[in-house]
Amino acid sequence: MKQAGQVDPEPIQRILEKHKREIRMGLKVCAHCSLCAESCFIYAASKNPRHMPSYKFIHSIGRLQRKNARVSRAEMEKIRDMVWYDCVLCTRCYCPFGINIPSLIAMARQACRTQGLSREYEKDPIRPATDGNS
Amino acid sequence: MALFEQLLHILQGPMVWIALGVFAAGLVVQSLRLWSYTRKNNPHTIGFAANPRIGEKNSRARRWVRRSGAIKTTALGASPVVTGVSIIFHIFLFITPLFLMGHNVLIHTATGIRLPSFSEPVSDVCTLTVLVCGLFFLLRRLLSRNVRALTSAYDLFLLLLVMLPFASGFLARHHLLIDYRQMILLHMAAGELMLIMIPFSKFFHMIFFFFGRFCIVSEYSLAAPKRIWQFHSRGAKQ
Repeated sequence: MKQAGQVDPEPIQRILEKHKREIRMGLKVCAHCSLCAESCFIYAASKNPRHMPSYKFIHSIGRLQRKNARVSRAEMEKIRDMVWYDCVLCTRCYCPFGINIPSLIAMARQACRTQGLSREYEKDPIRPATDGNS
Repeated sequence: MALFEQLLHILQGPMVWIALGVFAAGLVVQSLRLWSYTRKNNPHTIGFAANPRIGEKNSRARRWVRRSGAIKTTALGASPVVTGVSIIFHIFLFITPLFLMGHNVLIHTATGIRLPSFSEPVSDVCTLTVLVCGLFFLLRRLLSRNVRALTSAYDLFLLLLVMLPFASGFLARHHLLIDYRQMILLHMAAGELMLIMIPFSKFFHMIFFFFGRFCIVSEYSLAAPKRIWQFHSRGAKQ
């Protein structure tokens, strides 16, 4: 597992502050319609609602925004799994309203990187998508 | 009873204008705010939109062929039933109250402006269409695994708030369930609350949709937009 440690909220807060308009807009506009689901190939393979693009951005960057980056290391690792393993940022997700979901997921990835969290290709080259329940 | 009369008086009179005013002003302010978050696209920008077909003068027929191919990759291709119901729901959501005879008589009395109206049976069908589509969404919210994963109480509240003016209007017109005046009070209160909430709540998607799909350059544009998002402050370009 990752080394034990605390999450340093400050660099994440800077990202949240820089992109606050786009994040708030995305969260506000998302009608929770789930029509984006079929556009995600990871969802198409798993049929797991946690792999829907909307679910991924709401529970990654959306969660960080709501909690103003005050999350535990375990939560941050969950977000890492969501945006690095359950999403490959292929940018094929489709939102009927035109929310730029890849942009929001990329912000969550940035937030993860500030905590030294990202995909560990050398250790985990072919880890399957998580079931999201761990 | 006096309180009821007072409430009815307020909701029938000043509150109608307040709700319409907040709705209209909110639409303008929020549209301007969204517009300020965009900028003109640099035509030489290389990105996913640097599609060789962009900028090319296409014939009308070719554009349609391209669009119909593109539909397969959108919600209409992936979930035709939900998208179809959604389109019908949103169209009737607007035309039903706008062309309702009862509303237009009131508008005529207040302003002297005469709007075209549907006949009452047509309005009934329109109202029932909205309610049936709304019920479809409600069931989908409660039963579909995907939608349930995203649904909060707020989503249900908003959906019921949209359906309430239609349901109460229909019941009032047919004098069903409760007294007409109580029903019409509920009808006006719900309708006015919905109007006020449109620019500031999740209903904001009404405005955002036109930006996201008609104004911003994207793969799924429904027009030939020329702008891109610029969420950062204006000072910092690029």
